[in-house]
Amino acid sequence: MRIAIDILIGISIFFALAGTVGMLRMPDTFSRMQSSTNIGTMGVLGVIIGGIMYAIWQYGDYSMAVKIGILGVFYIVTNPISGHALAKGAYRHGYRPEQGFACDQYGEDLTDAD
Amino acid sequence: MKKTTFPAFLSTAIVCYIFWLLLTGQIVAIFIGNAAPEVLIAGGLVSVLVALFSARFFIHRSAFYLFNPVKLLALLFYCIFIFGWELLKANWDVARRALRPGKLRINPGIVKVPTELKSEYGLSMLANSITLTPGTITMDIADQDEKTWLYIHWLHVDCTEPEQAGDSIKGTLEKWIRRIWK
Repeated sequence: MRIAIDILIGISIFFALAGTVGMLRMPDTFSRMQSSTNIGTMGVLGVIIGGIMYAIWQYGDYSMAVKIGILGVFYIVTNPISGHALAKGAYRHGYRPEQGFACDQYGEDLTDAD
Repeated sequence: MKKTTFPAFLSTAIVCYIFWLLLTGQIVAIFIGNAAPEVLIAGGLVSVLVALFSARFFIHRSAFYLFNPVKLLALLFYCIFIFGWELLKANWDVARRALRPGKLRINPGIVKVPTELKSEYGLSMLANSITLTPGTITMDIADQDEKTWLYIHWLHVDCTEPEQAGDSIKGTLEKWIRRIWK
């Protein structure tokens, strides 16, 4: 049982590492945000599922398990909202990648509207 | 500002009360049979108060939509299995791109994708699901030509054709969300 918890937390650590490496290597703001989502989803979910299993098997405390579960639910529901706001804000503020986008259908529509 | 209707108030209060039970740990106590009545009553008062003030932001139409067990089960199934699997696949893909030595294999761009969802909840659920999968971020949402469009920043653009791009970004996600929300 302990091994299952360790594997879940290990998976989490792997994705958090991958997200961090991605954030350092990606060339521009938007691609960095994509990589940081790695940390925000699998990096957190693995720890949360591991925490629920730990609370049940090691402590036998179900109310603690429920609380950790709610923490996960709220984390997942609220996390993308900052993602939308950051991406839209960065774009509207004028950040563009140095090597340009492969295609930019948002910019085309924005200039049409103005 | 929209007005608070009684069904919206009632369903918000019920949801708040369920969260109160979960957070105070009383839901476990009820199953064992040693729930504390004062905690239950205080929770009821707090949920009624919160619902009075927040129902009009929370629910705008068909207040008891999710109390339908079929929809609720579909929501749970979507969140755990369909979305979980998509999340795992996308996470693995982005992690591999980030950790691969040499030049990064990315081709970032913003694509415009049509959606057939109509309701507020359906659209926000689709946009949040897309943002949560690594590799895609929803940037904006717009009505144009009597259709709803999503602007999505995509880490590796395969095709710029709206329908095709939409299929490969949110094909399974949208199919399942349409079973839950209109």
